[in-house]
Amino acid sequence: MSRARSYAAARKERAADIDRWLTDLFRAATAQPYGREGRGVAPGRGTPDRFDERGAATHAGGGVALVAVGSLGRGELAPGSDLDLVLLHDGRDDIARIADRIWYPIWDSGVGLDHSVRTPDEAAKVAREDLKAVLGLIQARHIAGDAELTRAVREVVLAEWRAEARHRLAELREAADKRAESSGELAFLLEPDLMDSRGGLRDVQAMQAVAAAWVASAPGPRVREAYELLLDIRHALHLVTARGTDRLVLQEQDAVAAALGLLDAEALMRRVAEAGRTIAHAVDGTWRTVDRLLHGPAPRGRRPLADGVVEHGGEVVLARGVNPRNDPVLVLRAAAAAAEAGLPLSPAAVATLAAQSPPMPVPWPAEARDALVALLGAGRAAVQVWEELDQAGVIVRLIPDWERVRHRPQRNPVHRYTVDRHLIETAAGAASFTREVSRPDLLLLAALLHDIGKGWPGDHSATGEIVARDIGARMGLPPADVEVLATVVRHHLLLPETATRRDLDDPVTIKRVADAVGSREVLELLAALAVADGHATGPAAWNSWKAGLVADLVRRVRSVLSGTPPPPAPTLSPEQAALARHGGGAVRVVGGQVTVVAPDRPGLLWRAAGVLAAHRLVVRSASAASAGSTAVIEFSVVPEYGSPPDPATLEADLRLVLAGRLDIEQRLARRTRSLRPPRVPVAPPRVTIVDDASSTATVVEVRAHDRPGLLWRIGRAFGECGLDVRAARVETLGAEAVDVFYVVDRAGRPLVDEAQRAQVRERVLAALR
Amino acid sequence: MRLITAIIKPFKLDDVKAALEQAGVKGMTVSEASGYGRQRGHTEVYRGAEYQVDLVPKVRVEVLVEEDDHEDVLDAIVKAAHTGKIGDGKVWSVPVDTVIRVRTGERGPEAL
Repeated sequence: MSRARSYAAARKERAADIDRWLTDLFRAATAQPYGREGRGVAPGRGTPDRFDERGAATHAGGGVALVAVGSLGRGELAPGSDLDLVLLHDGRDDIARIADRIWYPIWDSGVGLDHSVRTPDEAAKVAREDLKAVLGLIQARHIAGDAELTRAVREVVLAEWRAEARHRLAELREAADKRAESSGELAFLLEPDLMDSRGGLRDVQAMQAVAAAWVASAPGPRVREAYELLLDIRHALHLVTARGTDRLVLQEQDAVAAALGLLDAEALMRRVAEAGRTIAHAVDGTWRTVDRLLHGPAPRGRRPLADGVVEHGGEVVLARGVNPRNDPVLVLRAAAAAAEAGLPLSPAAVATLAAQSPPMPVPWPAEARDALVALLGAGRAAVQVWEELDQAGVIVRLIPDWERVRHRPQRNPVHRYTVDRHLIETAAGAASFTREVSRPDLLLLAALLHDIGKGWPGDHSATGEIVARDIGARMGLPPADVEVLATVVRHHLLLPETATRRDLDDPVTIKRVADAVGSREVLELLAALAVADGHATGPAAWNSWKAGLVADLVRRVRSVLSGTPPPPAPTLSPEQAALARHGGGAVRVVGGQVTVVAPDRPGLLWRAAGVLAAHRLVVRSASAASAGSTAVIEFSVVPEYGSPPDPATLEADLRLVLAGRLDIEQRLARRTRSLRPPRVPVAPPRVTIVDDASSTATVVEVRAHDRPGLLWRIGRAFGECGLDVRAARVETLGAEAVDVFYVVDRAGRPLVDEAQRAQVRERVLAALR
Repeated sequence: MRLITAIIKPFKLDDVKAALEQAGVKGMTVSEASGYGRQRGHTEVYRGAEYQVDLVPKVRVEVLVEEDDHEDVLDAIVKAAHTGKIGDGKVWSVPVDTVIRVRTGERGPEAL
């Protein structure tokens, strides 16, 4: 890329000009026939307008100084910048008059002025109370008058800044967080604020202030380069708009690019994004150092989060002895664990993973898919982790098509973010709708990919369908799921467009949507995606007006679509039937498959699940069925972390539990206590009793965020309601569990009493809380 | 000069836009609105279920036109927005004293 034109020399020159002008103003203002010796003499006596060079010199040496703070102080004056000036004095009576003689000519010249008049004590006091003032004063630059006075004030202010670093830096950090929250991120906004966005100029100034407190080192050369680039862009923006604005709005981007000698707005915005990411990354490092100062050294303990991944000192790091070179899924597992714990991945771990992870096999193993879905399902927390991986180039290696949307600006007034950030924001938003759909995994993947077609020419929904089909296959989704994913990407605008532009009272409209959508499952996915997409686009793209129309359309389309009934109760395979004929008490552990064959009795399923949970095994899926008086349960499990437990102990414990000689509840309770509560908010669980699904049993569907012992909790709740689980199909999609249970009462009949059904729902929900 | 305000069904916006362009109207303001009229927000019975909505989503279109054109524009809007079913909306016009184009300061019909 060609270099952008630099305005550094112009800025320096302008600052020097202003300095000269201010020096002259100051001289004229202090050239009074009265002064130190004239103290107490009422202003107005003498001949104030007579210029006295000698007098100015003596007064200038005595007790008054003009000091520049802000951009003039730093010598970075852009054309539209205000002058930030402080007039320091040691308590002279005629200071108001001197101030007037400096400020008025500046006001009259039309330059913006931010001014204050203070004694050293006042300056120190305001520095203690006002963060903005202290930041200015530690970078203050002497312009004219008593240099000793300026030096003394700077020294006092800096000394206090260092002495009080602990709480001043906490204040600085809080202000930076607030600023980032209200101004967004430089790298991902289509109309960013060059000054206040996260990754903007203000962040570098904050780093300098932290460095001034001797807490972290000053910004390095890469950050300084990014900073200079942003200053140049701001300079060009001021020139183009002839105003002191810091917001790089769409309509000015082409002109600013031209002023900088760049090809077009897109080239400009890619550079802005790059600089913003460099600065945001560096400032994160600075805040981590500050946090260490504020909260003391991080706790030394290491807490396992997932296989090969541990928490250490508030960050997620790789476990000792883990070799990323022979574990392609580790990178996604670590990312998912970090997002779910609401923690950042440590920069060292990201670097190691980026450098050493082997390519992901294609198609991806199921574990990789699950980890990606779990990462996205963590919601807001996923955004930061995703950004860390993307900066290290990991995302593009996993999903090569991602390259085409990275940093891609959108010339569209309703959009707020670049394409890549919009996609990840949509996925994060979709995480709150995982209970609304029967396939949370497909919802999250579709959200991540819905605009992927924007990297190619043509209608992005149509190209997106093709790309999504490729990526779906690459990720190893079964063909039927790939089709659903592609359909959802193809039609992701169908609901909002139809709802706002077609006659919803016309049955033809409804039929056309129903035909395109095909099933209730896809309709659910599209409805949830429409809301997440709208929210992530910008305030103009989604509101209650549109939401109302879309909801109306969905209701009408749903009434003409039939849903797929929940999966039928599983039946026994011939092999399982053979096992069952042998009767009870058999436990087989083969790899990740655990088969339990036992005389059927209430509570068998959840007790067995409890044993697995107590052994740190996560149940990914399970199916339970019975033949006569014998039940066969198949679990597919993965260890939470570390090596899988010894099959022999597992088997022994299962037998003990089945014989009623092991208190599984106590063991689980102990384990639950040692678990750290999840920091990331998850969508609340949902329990639905599905009608007409089975004539012999009541079908209860549970959608919840997966956690250790989930199956055990649900099963126990059924037990407490006096119900028996006849059959079950348990599935974990990413971090979301979608479980279907076929339950009957003690007499073996389905539940018909409405009160009893409500009670079951309540009990199960309570158990999930 | 006159200000014409039309409250129409959202899906009729494209038709009304086209009709206004045909009628020579150069600019318009469109906003999302909701409300109800004589039918109190009931829409028609759909597949056996009557949907009770308090406020029905509508689109509000505003255009400024010259006195002489205004009957034609009203007709164009009514024709384009018409479906014949309930909830088609309303169109009205009011006299306007002053119009100023912000950018140039032009006043009166010049500013339309």
